[in-house]
Amino acid sequence: MSDIRLEGVTKRYGTFAAAEEVDLSVTQGEFVTILGPSGSGKTTLLSLIAGLNRPTSGRIFIGGRDVTNATAQERNIGLVFQSYALFPHMTVLQNVLFPLGVRKIGGAEADRLARDALKLVRLDGLENRRPSQLSGGQQQRVALARAVVFKPDILLLDEPLGALDRKLREELQVELKQLQRTLGVTTLLVTHDQEEALSLSDRIMVLDKGRTQQVAAPTEAYLRPANRFVAEFLGIANFVGLPDGRQGLVRPERVRLSTNGAANDSGKPAKIVEAIYLGQMVRYHLALEGAQSIVAAVPFLGTAHVPGEQVTVSWESADIWPVT
Amino acid sequence: MIGGSPWSRRAVAAMGIFGLVFLTVPLIIVIPMSFSSARALTFPPPSLSLRWYETFFGDPRWMEAMWTSTLVAAISSVAALLLGGLAAYGLRRGTFKGRDWAEGNFMAPLIVPTIIVAIALYLALAKIGLLGSFAGLVIAHTLLNVPLVMMVLGVAIREFDPRIEQVAWSLGASWGYTIRKVVLPNLAPSVFAAWIFAFIGSFDEVIVTSFIAGKYETVPKKMFNELILEVNPTITAVATLLIVFTVLALAAVTLILGRAGKLKQTLV
Repeated sequence: MSDIRLEGVTKRYGTFAAAEEVDLSVTQGEFVTILGPSGSGKTTLLSLIAGLNRPTSGRIFIGGRDVTNATAQERNIGLVFQSYALFPHMTVLQNVLFPLGVRKIGGAEADRLARDALKLVRLDGLENRRPSQLSGGQQQRVALARAVVFKPDILLLDEPLGALDRKLREELQVELKQLQRTLGVTTLLVTHDQEEALSLSDRIMVLDKGRTQQVAAPTEAYLRPANRFVAEFLGIANFVGLPDGRQGLVRPERVRLSTNGAANDSGKPAKIVEAIYLGQMVRYHLALEGAQSIVAAVPFLGTAHVPGEQVTVSWESADIWPVT
Repeated sequence: MIGGSPWSRRAVAAMGIFGLVFLTVPLIIVIPMSFSSARALTFPPPSLSLRWYETFFGDPRWMEAMWTSTLVAAISSVAALLLGGLAAYGLRRGTFKGRDWAEGNFMAPLIVPTIIVAIALYLALAKIGLLGSFAGLVIAHTLLNVPLVMMVLGVAIREFDPRIEQVAWSLGASWGYTIRKVVLPNLAPSVFAAWIFAFIGSFDEVIVTSFIAGKYETVPKKMFNELILEVNPTITAVATLLIVFTVLALAAVTLILGRAGKLKQTLV
């Protein structure tokens, strides 16, 4: 178990910078997510930390040890890919025993460690199956068990739930979080799914075009984004003009709707353009005066507004966050 | 795909069947001729006998050619498998400069007319004093079969997810250990197929062998020489044995790759 530190990590391919001067510090036992669109350099960063690639400049430390030029084998890392990357010719148990065999741990002790790891991911009983006989969720659990069975210093997850359907993904998110807390292993996850990032992480690092945009706790990044990119990437963002000429962010859940006139001075008349029913919530797309549009998310309590209806929208001044 | 109208489809089918018959009839005629009792090549054979097989197996020169062919094929196919396998792996997994150039160079013996390869090898082996030697023969056959191995294994390596290897490294396995315990077990059917292709490729080779083998006689070279001297029915017996051997070997390849579900990717 260790901390991770990146200092000015840069990776260039010719003139293209996949990662540019990235600094990051992940403390012991922390769960940090690198979040960004495809091509933002997040996978490059992960491969640099895993030792599958070498940075052009900058240094990487794991547990205080400079591993910038160390091979993947020397880093003691648990690695999980979206494609599971299980060894197809081995059984579930043989897959999990693999890192132990490499470390010259054998016999009853290896068997006990492997079975414990499989129990941890709730796969006990499937030891003798082949990967091809398992569902996607089960395969990813095997990959997780294989990545933690040898007590790695850190755990790296590359879009681990990306290939699963929504329901399974949500289930595995909870399990992944519990597993990480039980083991207390320092974890770095890479994803483009902002919901996953918000729900799993202690902190989020938002990346765009190889550059760090913000490193913050999920609520902080969501409500007080460092810039417009972060505001829009983490969810639906309404921008309103502020008296000083800057733009202010108001999240849809902070927008209030009322039908009986303005509740306070900041209320503005608006027309419902679209009402989208989402189960627990209704999302309204509204048109304000002057062609400005705004999105509001309101808990569904039995009745909803209909398109064409005139309402008043308002928000507290404390719910506005100025962005640049 | 084939055109929609039933007539055009029938025309294509007829052409296909004609082509198949055209290719297989000479092979099918050779087989009954080898069991002929006649002294000269005649078809159909007047009566059946095994005399030409007895001649073949009883002739020490034929047996020596058989032994030379087998030994050259055995050594050169394994050497081609090693070299071609490593080259295919490096070319598929590597990202170094000049990769395309290197690949073209490796594939050249398959593309350049064999007669030119034969002349080049003749001059090169003469220069290093291996012309007419057994080692020279093995080197030449290895060189000819490397592209075959690279083609078969290149496809198999490309289909194998590189992340599986990366995970193995991250789990602490060295490169060699990963190749032995992870890559090779999964590529075994393709490795076997590549070896068979290389073995047959060497066993069948006649052009380059004629140029460089000197006093060494391989089975195809001896067949060719016999045909020039006199038309001897013994070669129909040899031909039949070669056909049976090739068909069995290809059947084994089909069976093994088919079982691994790889036949289509390798052949298409």
